[in-house]
Amino acid sequence: MSCLANKAEGALSASSGFLSRTGISLKPVYYQTILTDFPEIGFFEIHAENYLSKGGPAPYFLAQIREHYPITVHGVGLSIGGESPLDVDHLERVATLVETVQPEVFSEHLAWSSHYSQYLNDLLPVPYDQATLDRVCRHIDQVQERLQRPMLLENPSTYFEFARSNMSEVEFLSTIAKRTGCGLLLDVNNVEVSCFNRRGNPYEYLNAFPMDAVGQIHLAGHTMDTNQELPLKIDSHDDTVSQNVWGLYQHTLRLAGDVPTLIERDGNLPSITELLKEAQFADEIRQAVIQERHHELAL
Amino acid sequence: MNSHFKSALFSQDSRFYNEIKAGSLAEKETRLNVYRNNVFVSLIEALSDIFPVTHSVVGDDFFRAMARAYIVEHPPSSPILREYGQHFSDFIRGFEAANSLPFLADLAALERNLLTLTHEREHDTLTREDVATVFAKVEDPSTLYLSLPPNTQLLASPFAIGSLYQAHQSDGKLRLDEVDIYGSEYLLLCKSFLYAQLHVIRFSEACFLKNLLQHKSLEDAIPDEADFDLGSMLAKLMKWQLISRISNQPPAIHQQEK
Repeated sequence: MSCLANKAEGALSASSGFLSRTGISLKPVYYQTILTDFPEIGFFEIHAENYLSKGGPAPYFLAQIREHYPITVHGVGLSIGGESPLDVDHLERVATLVETVQPEVFSEHLAWSSHYSQYLNDLLPVPYDQATLDRVCRHIDQVQERLQRPMLLENPSTYFEFARSNMSEVEFLSTIAKRTGCGLLLDVNNVEVSCFNRRGNPYEYLNAFPMDAVGQIHLAGHTMDTNQELPLKIDSHDDTVSQNVWGLYQHTLRLAGDVPTLIERDGNLPSITELLKEAQFADEIRQAVIQERHHELAL
Repeated sequence: MNSHFKSALFSQDSRFYNEIKAGSLAEKETRLNVYRNNVFVSLIEALSDIFPVTHSVVGDDFFRAMARAYIVEHPPSSPILREYGQHFSDFIRGFEAANSLPFLADLAALERNLLTLTHEREHDTLTREDVATVFAKVEDPSTLYLSLPPNTQLLASPFAIGSLYQAHQSDGKLRLDEVDIYGSEYLLLCKSFLYAQLHVIRFSEACFLKNLLQHKSLEDAIPDEADFDLGSMLAKLMKWQLISRISNQPPAIHQQEK
């Protein structure tokens, strides 16, 4: 059973904004506008690592915004795919934040970023083999045990494949979800980026993806690295969602049914109005797919 | 494997290349370069966010080169990026190319200090009205003890880094050409509401505030300096919302009795 289904049974009314309307990334430049205009939006997503201070603007504004909106917490620093043990102090800080914020979901990445005491500030890829699978599952068990709730694991954007991988990414993620009971965060832009970079077909990827485990979708923009050797797509989060990602999103919803969705933006931040427009566009696609499915059922 | 991957990000270490599935060595390089670029670009940006005035003083090319060298020597140890740059000031002190700017290391230390202060817990302070009420009730205010929040810091700098910092703020209160960087300065670092504040203060004011931090009574805290004006000092402390407690006993005794 997916995380979302678990969540929906217990707290439908409180989560209805999250479930029914698309959300956007929460950034400090938007704090004032949000608390003045109270835009109609499903939820805001924060990066856990930006909200771990004891004081200052981040916890102060988050507490105010939390009074009016559902929040999702997205971790970027637990290094779940890492070879070294999880940093328990960091897990403790993240758990305290999750307890305070009571987010709709907590999500993290299938990636590594720390090796013992060194943090590299990038989501680095992992090989898809049995040893890595076992380790990632152990780390997810540890996180879920501490948080006392299922987490969502996000499919990565990658720029190379490991020679030693002997499973597909989808197989790898499906097995993790089954073994640990975690849900999956399907980043559709990452599907586009990774499939392009390994010359795969993103539609085939989505057709194989375990949609019943998907608790949230991320949509973001990417850029093109036009180096001499080979073109690569870069998961930059600094532009609008591209046309082909919107197409993949619609395809995903047709396979998965309606799923809570985030417009993720981290760089080159536009006015909040621009992000709200993208969120609204996502809502229109969601509504259209819901209508399609009603018609199919009626027939 | 992670440790070889890490080495390959920081150097042209080829031991990791066997791990990458690709048709040619050039393709392996190109694919790995995306990660190399991500790591360095994002960490240089992080340092620029933490040290914006230092960045502005040395210019973009110089800052990026200096930051890159720092990242190789001191990669972050925490996933909380605002904590990064702990050794940046010391690194600058030993960075030969920055020798012509002897104040740069102090400036960087000041910037990091302010950021850390912003992220610290807030302490309750008295309002202007609270302070006025207490003073009105007391016959001899000179016997009172004024407490400042425990994270209040005083700094004596051989360079005018406080003014240099202020001249780079968008409030336009001070122009860059008004700053004589080789003049010494006394600085007060404190927190007002959610953000750290920096005030350039007089020597006599620094003496007075140091005495308050050492829990001396108002009478004993007044420095033997001709330019010290208690009225204007107290007005500043109220404006900066920096008085956390007023009592007729020093804080230590007060706490013991509690």
